Amino acid sequence: MLQKILFALVAVQFGIVGFADTSYQQLLADETNGADWLSYSGGYSSQRFSPLTEINSSNVNQLKVMWAYQMPTAGIAGAGLQETTPLVADGIMYLTESPSTVTSLDARTGKVLWRWSPEIPNSVLNIGFPRINRGVALLDDKVYVATLDARLFALDAGTGAVRWETTVADNDTGFSMTLAPLALDGKIIVGVSGAEAGVRAFVDAYDADSGERIWRTYTVPAPGEPGSETWQGDDWQTGGGSTWLTGSFDAELNTLYWTTGNPAPDWNGDVRPGDNLFTCSVLALDPDTGEMRWHFQYTPHDTHDWDANQIPVLLDGEFEGEQRKLLALANRNAFYYLIDRESGEFLLGEAYSYQTWAEGIDDNGRPIVIPNSEPTREGNIVWPSLQGATNWFSPSYNPLSEQFFVANRRMGAKYYKSDVDYEPGKPFLGGGEQAMDGDEASGAVVALEVMTGKFQWEFPLQSPPWSGVMATAGGLVFGSSNEGNFFALDAANGDALWNFNSGAHVRTNPMGFSIDSNQRVAIIGGRTLFVFGLE
Amino acid sequence: MFRNSRNNKSVAKLAIWLISAVLAGQHFSATAQTAESPLATLTQNDLNVGQTLFQTHCARCHGMLGEGGEGANLTQARLRHAPDDIALISLIATGIPGTAMPGSWTLNETELLRLAGYVRALGELPAEVMPGDAAAGELVYQTKGNCASCHILDGAGNGVGPELSEVGRRRNADYLRRAVTNPDADQPRIATRQRGTINAFLTVRVVSEYGTYEGMRINEDEFSVQMRDITGAIYSFDKAKLISYEKGFGHSLMPGYGAVLSEQEVDDVVSYLMSLKGEV
Repeated sequence: MLQKILFALVAVQFGIVGFADTSYQQLLADETNGADWLSYSGGYSSQRFSPLTEINSSNVNQLKVMWAYQMPTAGIAGAGLQETTPLVADGIMYLTESPSTVTSLDARTGKVLWRWSPEIPNSVLNIGFPRINRGVALLDDKVYVATLDARLFALDAGTGAVRWETTVADNDTGFSMTLAPLALDGKIIVGVSGAEAGVRAFVDAYDADSGERIWRTYTVPAPGEPGSETWQGDDWQTGGGSTWLTGSFDAELNTLYWTTGNPAPDWNGDVRPGDNLFTCSVLALDPDTGEMRWHFQYTPHDTHDWDANQIPVLLDGEFEGEQRKLLALANRNAFYYLIDRESGEFLLGEAYSYQTWAEGIDDNGRPIVIPNSEPTREGNIVWPSLQGATNWFSPSYNPLSEQFFVANRRMGAKYYKSDVDYEPGKPFLGGGEQAMDGDEASGAVVALEVMTGKFQWEFPLQSPPWSGVMATAGGLVFGSSNEGNFFALDAANGDALWNFNSGAHVRTNPMGFSIDSNQRVAIIGGRTLFVFGLE
Repeated sequence: MFRNSRNNKSVAKLAIWLISAVLAGQHFSATAQTAESPLATLTQNDLNVGQTLFQTHCARCHGMLGEGGEGANLTQARLRHAPDDIALISLIATGIPGTAMPGSWTLNETELLRLAGYVRALGELPAEVMPGDAAAGELVYQTKGNCASCHILDGAGNGVGPELSEVGRRRNADYLRRAVTNPDADQPRIATRQRGTINAFLTVRVVSEYGTYEGMRINEDEFSVQMRDITGAIYSFDKAKLISYEKGFGHSLMPGYGAVLSEQEVDDVVSYLMSLKGEV
């Protein structure tokens, strides 16, 4: 400890960057440590909340660019989009560049410390999503990255040298990885993409030191396993249920929360009758064994590609007079849910966006589906569109004001159903969508009262967003738009207090840290990372 | 390794085929190259298969009807990254570096041709019998219509309304007749990322402390709007400082020419516009 304090003093005095070392204890304290941002969502609760207050509603209008980092062009076609959340540990930043490059920067100046790229063939399969990556995980002296061709690498945090690698799944059959891994105590948790190719998805845990797999939990049960009664015949073998977004963790309950995506094929539900568990669900898993403690399915028998791969936000508070440990999730299907994360009990389901597919959510958490809202051969207009009322990009929770913020997409689509045959490594979709008139599509950053889902305010966006939000203890909500703006809103009323035109489409999440005790916020517009501060 | 060797082999075969096709194109004249397009021999059945492939592989970004969205609008006669059929086939096979467009590595050569054929057909307009005399229409365009006061054609004119140098590739005669006589009926649209197609010439009316401005929206975001008025002057407004901002959907700044031109003159102008293919 003394060594660390001495080092910190030296670092401040001479402005040098630190050692690359992130302990599990530091990960546990990530939420309250505003200086670092050690995991994808800024802490195991996934609140994406910065406790820093130097930048606040009274001075945010003086925010300026401190430095920028321009990513070189990727080596393979189709890898032009960036969805990474940078991490910062002890003055060093780690981010990914599409498709699967890891870059380490001096968080004070943006200067490159090292850059590592795996060999990804141009022929890599990424069926149903772009060639992107959402970031790394940090644990001890290593950086972990999941690659587009479904491998997991451990890199030396100081140099980028490979410590170990393992193949998670077979990319030839459509398995792929875009998510930031989640580091627990000695374990790295990952999920996979591939439901649009008809994979049978899973959540995996790997030994952080050796890369050996510790457990695998499939999201679609085999015959005889719990939930298998919701499938018929061999449908489960191509059932989907991708696990393509980073989950959350409650150390006290020793429970991992991971979300799952659509059943396969996406739009033709006739060929897979049943609820199709455990697709479009959140799973509570024992992190030591992978055993499922409970599950909650948001959209049974989904036919609109409404993955539940949104961030499960963990928070504690009083719900209807009772202190509860809660899991809040604004779902792609346009409903906001609260679940008791100890028991899995459904507590609340309220629409937060215009939708035309359900009359509401019943007392058991099951949607009351409006007839004829499924895809048809002629096309059927339903709100929200297949990209949902929100998507993978992160919401944010301010525990001080008990507000839940979400970037909301407002558009409908004409959904089509078509015949479909499974062929390994090929799209397995059974339909598609036609976008509606773009002049009628829009978006917003929305503030909800966390315990009721009641609407508080909205900040309108020109088009349906593809970027997340971050609240801060300075009374701010940072967000961004397709039009390229990065902005700060007053958390009390949604008024825009500051904005910056990044010059390109933003499709990442904001994050925050501090360097030399000065607060920073960061966003990527196009291929450029901007870091802002006051001084 | 099996995957790489398999795909490399497939790509190598395609590369040889593309090189052969390009050489064949060079061997013949420019006109002959069109006739030699590998898409020229596709049957209706091939295009039907191509449509299914399109809906499976492409529609997620380009829309079920190719109307665009996250990906480009493909219902155009001329595609920016694929000026000819060979470039189109190559692009579908290998993707576009620096963009979100990946290569279609899972397609074999026959599927690739069928898909490219369908994509090309999305932008093709059927041949039409012209209602009037294009030469007479050119004269109307230049004199009574005074069209160049608002449109650029082959580099000449004012850029208020849509550029017309290639309008005959993009539109049919019915559409252009409506555009001339009742411009409010159809307004040109453009595909935008994440939003689908929007009105490309939306009429807007802005009231600020300095006055009232009417024109066409050029761009807009959460905080600002850029517009061009009928004189070509460009304005940028901070939305927060405006007294009012209205969007005139279904209203074009172009006057209807139904009362100005005779039926014959309208036929002639339409025929002239349809002759504009952007060919030098």
